[in-house]
This record gives sequence, structure tokens and C-alpha cells, in this order.
Amino acid sequence: MNDELQIKVQAFLDGELPEAEAREIGSLLARDADAAAMRAELKHTRAALVGFERRILVPETREFYFSKIQREIEREEASASAPARPQHSIFSFWRRALAVTGGVAALAVALLVVTNFGPRGAALEVALGSGEAFTYRNYESGATLVWLSYPAENGLAENQPAATLQ
Amino acid sequence: MPSQKDYSSLEDAALVKLAQKGDTLAFEELVFRHRDKIYARAYTMMHSEDAALDLSQEAWVKAWQRLAQFQGDSSFATWVTRITINVCLDQLRKNKRQRAESIEELNEESGGVDRQMPVVTVDPTERLERGELRQKIDTALGKLTEEHRTVLVLHEFQEMEYKDIAQTVGVSIGTVMSRLFYARRKMAALLADVRKTE
Repeated sequence: MNDELQIKVQAFLDGELPEAEAREIGSLLARDADAAAMRAELKHTRAALVGFERRILVPETREFYFSKIQREIEREEASASAPARPQHSIFSFWRRALAVTGGVAALAVALLVVTNFGPRGAALEVALGSGEAFTYRNYESGATLVWLSYPAENGLAENQPAATLQ
Repeated sequence: MPSQKDYSSLEDAALVKLAQKGDTLAFEELVFRHRDKIYARAYTMMHSEDAALDLSQEAWVKAWQRLAQFQGDSSFATWVTRITINVCLDQLRKNKRQRAESIEELNEESGGVDRQMPVVTVDPTERLERGELRQKIDTALGKLTEEHRTVLVLHEFQEMEYKDIAQTVGVSIGTVMSRLFYARRKMAALLADVRKTE
């Protein structure tokens, strides 16, 4: 008996064959001992399974089992109703990074200028030591120039008194 | 709103209506009534108590979220069981994706069952007591491939027709017939071995 026929015997047993094919397989079963034996095996297996699913009980108390379900429901509802995360966080990161980088770059340029082209008696002082502001002072002319990074990360421009810039 | 005691006297349909309006106590009563059956079905599908516990709870969460869709065309228990089966199938698909290719998967339809395996001529379960038979069947189910066990469970325990199984699992009817055939043959052989070793 080939595979196709075996599977048709099974479909016959399960009542899944169209009427014409069912008649055909029915007559085969009546005259073919192998087909009949196959049908008997499939029938026994099916009969053994029906109604014999393992009886297994939830190994937790009603309260504990439901509390986990309830917590998950609440968690999912909370996440569904939560506002979307602000999109500016990535920009804040880049703004901070650029401010620091810009400050360092400006300092490097100023050092270069002072070293190579600056007038005698000129000095560079890092006023705040954080790369956010530095001061160029010319003692001969009494001039002082202060650079501030922008945007000011620590509120320097807003918080420092105007006299500092003198 | 009824007291906790009143919920236990209500029919499923009444509890479902209350739960659909957001009554979690009514839903808790439904969970309490059907949790063992749902857990047992998840266990039969997964053959793991831990997975069954997690997935049965996931199924209940989904049931709560989809309560509005329940129209009462079937019983509430049948509806939740279908959700459970789908949750288990999703997990089995994830497992399969994560698993390395195995010999079993190369021979998925036959599941390693020899096509020429002799027919088991006697009823392998006769003279076994009910509890003993249940245990033997559970052990034998655990030895099937996930694909074979799934089709067998859906057909024999969930009483689904071939076309419904095909739709649920996402395979052709021919594949369902083939998997079911080899699953039954392997079960027959495993149960026959049980007889021999006694």
C-alpha cells in the first residue's frame, strides 16, 4: 500500500474524504488485509488519545496566578497610554557634544594665534577651565576678550554678572 | 456591582458581559473557572510546565485585550482555548527559528518515522488503567516532534478538522494529513513499546 493510499485510509477514518473516495476506500478496506490492518492501528491510536489528555492543574493559587495576569494587563495598558518619548533627546546630546567640541576647537585656534601672531605681552587665560569660556588678555593695551561657547551648557551667559565680561 | 460571592453564581455569558465593561472581578472569576483547562492545553502543546504557565497567562492577557471581539459564537472556554493555541503556536514558531537545523527538521513530515514500520496489530492500550494510560500517552506525546504533536493535539483534543488545522498552523491540508498520519504511527509504535516493556 503506497503512502497516498495510507493517508486516504486515515482520512476515511476521520470522515474527511469526499463521498466518492470514501466508497472507494471502503471497498478497498473490505478486500485488502493490509489496508484493514492500517485502519485498525490508526483507530486504536485515535481511541487511546480521545479523552486522555493529561490532567494537570495550575500549580499556583488563584490569587497569585491572577495577580500576574492583572499586572501584565496593567503594564500593557500603561505602556499603550504613555505619551511618546520626546524626540529632542538625541538633539540635546549632539548640542552638548558640539558645544564642548566647539570650545576645544576655539581654544586650539586661539593658542595658535597667540603663539604665532600674538603681540608681545599677550596672554591666554582659561577662565572657567571647562572649555566653555576662555579669556584673551593683552596687558600692553589693557584689553580683555572673553569667548563663551554657545549654547551655554551651564547657564554661564545668563547667570554671570555683566562685570565678568569687562 | 455584584459582590465577590455573587460572581461565582453567574454564568460565563454574564461574566463575559461584565468583563467587557471593564469588570476585572468578573474576568478573574472566568480565569478561575477555566485556568486548569487552559493550562493543560498549553502544557499538551508545549510539553513543558514552565512554558505552559507563562503562555497560559499570556493567553489570558490577550483574552482580556480582545474581549470586545468575543461575540458568543462559541463558548467562552473554546474561545480562550483558541487564543491559547495561537499563543503556543507563536512560541513554537519562535523556538523553531532559534533552533539550529536538525535531522528531524530535514525530515519534518515523517518526523523520523520509518515508512516501512510494521503495523501494530493489537490495541497497545488494552489492559492499561486510565491513570496509567494517561501517563503513557503524555510520555509518548513528549517524544513527538513539535510539528507532529501540534497537529495531533489539534485534531484529537481540540477536535479540529483538517482544513481548520491547516489554516491555524499555516500549512497545506496535505501537510496536515501527512503529519497526522506519521504522528499517529509514531504514537502507535511508542505505546506498543510500552506494552513490550511491561
